Amino acid sequence: MKLGSLTHMVWAMMVILAIAIPAWGGEPTDRIKGGTDKIIAVLSDPNLLGDEKADERRQAIRQAVFELFDWEEMAKRSLARHWRERTDEEKKEFVVLYGELLERTYLDRVEGYSGEEVIYTEERIDGKYALVKATIVTKTKQEIAVDYKLKTKSKQWLVYDVSVEGVSLVNNYRTQFNQILMKSSYETLVDRLRKKIERP
Amino acid sequence: MTRWTKDVKIKGHGKWLLLLLFFGILWGQLHGTVLAESQEGFSENGEASYENAPGETALDSDDPDFDLEDPFAQELPPTVPDPLEPFNRAMFTFNDRLYFWALKPVARGYRVIAPKPVRVGVRNFFLNLTAIIPIVNCFLQGKLDSGGEELGRFFINTIFGIGGFMDIASDIGYPAHDEELGQTFGVWGIGPGFYLTLPFLGPSTLRDFGGWVGGLYINPLNESLPLELNLSLRAYNIVNDASLRIGDYEDLKAAALDPYVALRDAYYQNRLKKIKE
Repeated sequence: MKLGSLTHMVWAMMVILAIAIPAWGGEPTDRIKGGTDKIIAVLSDPNLLGDEKADERRQAIRQAVFELFDWEEMAKRSLARHWRERTDEEKKEFVVLYGELLERTYLDRVEGYSGEEVIYTEERIDGKYALVKATIVTKTKQEIAVDYKLKTKSKQWLVYDVSVEGVSLVNNYRTQFNQILMKSSYETLVDRLRKKIERP
Repeated sequence: MTRWTKDVKIKGHGKWLLLLLFFGILWGQLHGTVLAESQEGFSENGEASYENAPGETALDSDDPDFDLEDPFAQELPPTVPDPLEPFNRAMFTFNDRLYFWALKPVARGYRVIAPKPVRVGVRNFFLNLTAIIPIVNCFLQGKLDSGGEELGRFFINTIFGIGGFMDIASDIGYPAHDEELGQTFGVWGIGPGFYLTLPFLGPSTLRDFGGWVGGLYINPLNESLPLELNLSLRAYNIVNDASLRIGDYEDLKAAALDPYVALRDAYYQNRLKKIKE
């Protein structure tokens, strides 16, 4: 075998590797589709219907949601420049509280699911970031544009922001947090966050 | 004779409104620039004191993990100026009460007597009735294709969709374009001015309110109709719309730490998207 063809083979392998690496842990769309399908499956599972199964159902959804979202990244981006002013302890506490709020918000919405169709229209990957665009078609034929933003973390695509009709969840919380932090204090923010979660 | 004086009166008001709008937007633009400039200075000292200071500038600067390298990060302009916040918050409370005490109970009662297909039909009917609004605005924005589509939609739905009750055009692949004058102004490069919460009408900006006023002139639901009929039709449209959306506002409130700020930001982000499209 000539040296030339060997070099070619090495090149070919490197190219294959380069293509294969971003696919760690599945493509972004598959991640979202997988997670969404899991949630829809729970919601339409006849064994989990009814009020007495509410806790069990929520637990199953919580698990699926937990596997899909990156609470820490969301917390970081929502606090933005205020994030760095916090101690490690505070950061940890904040991620937990904020995660709980997001989870509850998400669960509330998802429980209202009534057979909407989700169409994935676009996927863009750039390094460790990805954007997945989807359209939700409601039963009354209204189309809702949803964008998911993902980032790889320990070789897995995780969602760090969701936009509905152009309204980014992270940006919306960022504006709220910023205003509270500017007018009051971090303690007030945490306090209000805690109250929001405690409310049944 | 009475009709003539009425027209003159409205035009007279329109002129003042236009003038007010112009100065308001000018002021808003100036305010926005000054705000943006002072923010930079402040965040360098690490003691930003403006409530509208966006996280962006400092966010990117020294944490390599943040938006800087994120190719899909939105370029967020500073949040919409809100110099009338106390007034706006009062109006927000007013609208909130109006929704929970009046609109929602009525919409719920209506939902019981009118099945969903009927309510969707009514929504389509009003959308078709006011089709002239997106048609005119698509053309004003130079979107000739969309304007043509809207024109086609109007004829298809009027003729084959029982006067607009059925949205046949959407079914065959021509969905509606939501375009109105406020967006057109935005496309023309006019800034939002500042945020406004209007009683009954809800979140708006100076520009969008100007668009709303201007829109009254091309809306077929105008003063050529008897006042009572006009108001009844508008009220019915609002109740019908609300009946299809019960829960949306409640969700927003349930998720928000400050519902007023959450709604303001959601409105602004959504407007930016619509203008970009």
